[in-house]
Amino acid sequence: MSDERTRFANVVLPHLGDAYALARWLARNDSDAEDIVQEACLRAFRGIAGFGDINPRGWVLSIVRNTAYTWLKKHRDPKVVAVDNVEDVERAGADWDLGPASPEAALIEQADVARLEAAIAALPVEFRETLVLRDVEGLDYRTIAEVTGVPIGTVMSRLARARRRLMAQLGKD
Amino acid sequence: MTSAADDPILLVHAYCDGELDPANALALERRMAEDPRLAAERDRIVALKRAMTKLRPAAAPPTLRARIERTVGMRRPAARPTWSALAASVALAIVVSSGATWSVLGPGQSGLATDEVIGSHIRSLMAEQHYDVASSDRHTVKPWFNGRTVQSPRVVDLAAQGFPLLGGRIDVITKTPVPSLVYGYQKHLISVTQTQGVAPTPERTAEGYHVIGWTEGGLSYWAVSDLGIGELRNFVKLFRTAPTDG
Repeated sequence: MSDERTRFANVVLPHLGDAYALARWLARNDSDAEDIVQEACLRAFRGIAGFGDINPRGWVLSIVRNTAYTWLKKHRDPKVVAVDNVEDVERAGADWDLGPASPEAALIEQADVARLEAAIAALPVEFRETLVLRDVEGLDYRTIAEVTGVPIGTVMSRLARARRRLMAQLGKD
Repeated sequence: MTSAADDPILLVHAYCDGELDPANALALERRMAEDPRLAAERDRIVALKRAMTKLRPAAAPPTLRARIERTVGMRRPAARPTWSALAASVALAIVVSSGATWSVLGPGQSGLATDEVIGSHIRSLMAEQHYDVASSDRHTVKPWFNGRTVQSPRVVDLAAQGFPLLGGRIDVITKTPVPSLVYGYQKHLISVTQTQGVAPTPERTAEGYHVIGWTEGGLSYWAVSDLGIGELRNFVKLFRTAPTDG
């Protein structure tokens, strides 16, 4: 095998499962996820010569993420992707409702897979990708900030908001 | 806009993600002890994170892997060595190591061995099963190597420090089957490969994977992972200082 193919096999292929999982969460559709991962792998292969000694998983996931956005804008209603008011919501600052109506932890923990998946799928895409990168893919805040191209403060804010929406949803009887 | 550092709710989330340094974590623990609303938020986050572990991991369909390999013009990668191939390599290793050729397995082989150690780690990441024996019990993992490798690996328990033992596998390094242990750290895997007669590279980075090597009691150890180098150094320090029983 050529050098590029060997590097591709070493850097990209071990993370194919993670790449597919992220694409699936972003596209919310299995066959679209496959197309996105294939496209992302082609991009990764073309860019493999420039791959430095950075975290290979973070690198692969950032390519998948960028490919997914391009793909979704092209193949779906652009409005589905561009959630303009998300940043406004973020800028609104802390308005956390921690009143007595807050859901019980036990109720959240009992949520079954179907409800959980539906609640995650219903999140705005920026919230969803941050949550998936942290709680499904297990990336740390700094790597998530690099993958999504936003400051760490924004990662923290999106993650907290994503989780609070899920808690509210799952905490309903 | 409220800065993340001032918002106690964001700090509670960061706390549950292990993102606070010890001083800030301690300060937040005091705040949570005083404010039941913050403590309740912590409980909800922990509950949600537990619920999310129920999500099925999405494995890439085999057809997708094949499609991608065709796209970039690769052949299907070779399967993991079969037991008969391993047995053949044992025989070969005995022939090689019994003669005067032993000297070639010294420091000169170090670069090649490092490549093979990294290669074995990558191959295990790609396999459906990351290890040949899956167990968090070192009294299960250690005896599993009996009769499979010449040396028995040094197995230590680092679960309390956040590095649970996940299992073990056999790697072939410079033509010799050797024991490798697999530890976890969050979603990362760390392989610890133990060899004899091959001088390890102290520290190397290749394809984004870090390798730290050291020698102890006449044996060589190699820790490989895509963890940050600081975290991997910390793991190696813990591994070397942890007590071993038997």
